[in-house]
Amino acid sequence: MNPAVEFRNVTKVYRRRFSSQRIAALSDVSFDVHAGEVCAFLGPNGAGKTTTISILMGFFYPDSGEVRVLGYEPGDVRAKRQIGFLPENFAFYKYLDAEKLLSLHCVLAERGNGNRDAIIHDLLTKVRLEQFKGLKISKYSRGMVQRLGVAQALLGEPKLLVLDEPTSGLDPAGRKDVRELISSLRAAGNTIFLSSHILSEVEQICDRAVIIDRGKVVRAGTMNELLGSSGRVEIVVNQLPETLEAALSGWSASMERGARGVKISIAEDKKREAIESLWAAGCDVISLAPIRGSLEELFLTLVTGEGAAA
Amino acid sequence: MKIWAIATNTLRAFLRDKVLIVIFIVLICFVLLMMTPLLAYKAITTAENAGSMQALVLGIVAVVMSLLSGGGSLLAAWAGASSVATEMRSGTIQAVMARPVKRWQFLAGKYLGVLLLMGCYVPLMFGISYLLAWMGGEHIQAAPWVLIVYPIVRYAIYAAIAILLVTFMHSAVAFGIVILISVFAGLVAPKAPLTAHIPAWIRAPIYAVLPSTGLLSESRFLSITRTSLQHTTWLQHLTTLAYGLDYALVCFLFAVWSFHYRSLRRD
Repeated sequence: MNPAVEFRNVTKVYRRRFSSQRIAALSDVSFDVHAGEVCAFLGPNGAGKTTTISILMGFFYPDSGEVRVLGYEPGDVRAKRQIGFLPENFAFYKYLDAEKLLSLHCVLAERGNGNRDAIIHDLLTKVRLEQFKGLKISKYSRGMVQRLGVAQALLGEPKLLVLDEPTSGLDPAGRKDVRELISSLRAAGNTIFLSSHILSEVEQICDRAVIIDRGKVVRAGTMNELLGSSGRVEIVVNQLPETLEAALSGWSASMERGARGVKISIAEDKKREAIESLWAAGCDVISLAPIRGSLEELFLTLVTGEGAAA
Repeated sequence: MKIWAIATNTLRAFLRDKVLIVIFIVLICFVLLMMTPLLAYKAITTAENAGSMQALVLGIVAVVMSLLSGGGSLLAAWAGASSVATEMRSGTIQAVMARPVKRWQFLAGKYLGVLLLMGCYVPLMFGISYLLAWMGGEHIQAAPWVLIVYPIVRYAIYAAIAILLVTFMHSAVAFGIVILISVFAGLVAPKAPLTAHIPAWIRAPIYAVLPSTGLLSESRFLSITRTSLQHTTWLQHLTTLAYGLDYALVCFLFAVWSFHYRSLRRD
């Protein structure tokens, strides 16, 4: 199966008018987004995320490299018929209300000639804006505008959703709604490419992540590949005798005493021996879990080097 | 259908534009102001001073008509420049262009929206001219279609030039350049006295390149006295209007070409 999005050695340089200044926004960027997966696109501010998304949508042209979206050139109307897009800081015609805006987008998306009202009603219900459909968008709060943005992105049942900061401006309930919506879209087989700064959310909902920094892809892979096992496990016990503490130290374990007990971090291949020793010493094992890296740690390590230090 | 949806949305935006509302209020105030001397002249007209009073009335009506006509040119240039620039500035263009809309369709929709606005302005201008002439006790002799079609074609040229320029420069600069072009075109016209000293071999090519909107000015036909009404054949009308439409079309096609290659980023 062809990837839904293909970037091959894409380079984009911004040139200032009447100046020789050149700013390389993207340098030799390559990645794929496979059909049916949720792919996060991460990077610090100014990393080139918006430039990449703009190239993907056909708003900008790359200087070199090849981009295919659903098998077509970016900006090709055959591709755009199958794409739902939520730009960052979504801007609407503020003099319209939600119903009229979605009606305009229905015309532009070539959708719902006969059942336009039903489509609009469904979308507004999905994003909980049905009761505000007659209110001018200029009167909407930031969160309501964002939800309306999500509604218009879903118009036309797109195969590929490109979401730039979809939970920006939303309250916790709204963020949960969007997460659930993304999960249901993934379950329905849609491909989702999303950019976000909220890494905990990304970790929950994404299958794959592409991390970009200063215009270059610094890491890309599935969540398992990116956050895979650290080779250590964490054992939490209610108490730890001093005699055993010395023995565990000999196995390169680290211990941390807290209110809920003692946390022991130990190499995975030593876990069986450690647990047997703990039980033999009369300790109650509360939990045992593999230690997995967090996306935030990985991101900070790759982008600033802080994670590594931590 | 998509072009029409973009055009009607553009017109909707114009009709809510604060700048346009202010211009409209100023226009109404101006017309009301000009009514006062017209009514005063009419009231004091006697058999002895009828000739001089008629000349004054004709003068006032002519000034108002010229100002309305010139105001329309400014409006067309401003609307053309701002129709695209506003979308770029606000970022609304990205939501539209994410839809299966081709770039030329977007630009055609914006251009049609400007023409719809001018289509609202011209009957208003036409109505005010008739009203003032009637209040002054006169009657405009020119055929109504001339007073509608000629200004619309002229405004179509200004709007097309503005849209072309705004695809690669700031809207305020584009607006200024359209105004400069129109003034310059008038200055290098064959019988323009101010540039009579410039050799014809310099003036002629410049005049040929610049939009000769003087030809399309309805003031050529906006005569209140039958004796000064110029006789124009249908062939002359057709040739002049075809020239105007062709000029607007060429500018619009250049705009489509330029817009195709530009980045659709927020300005």
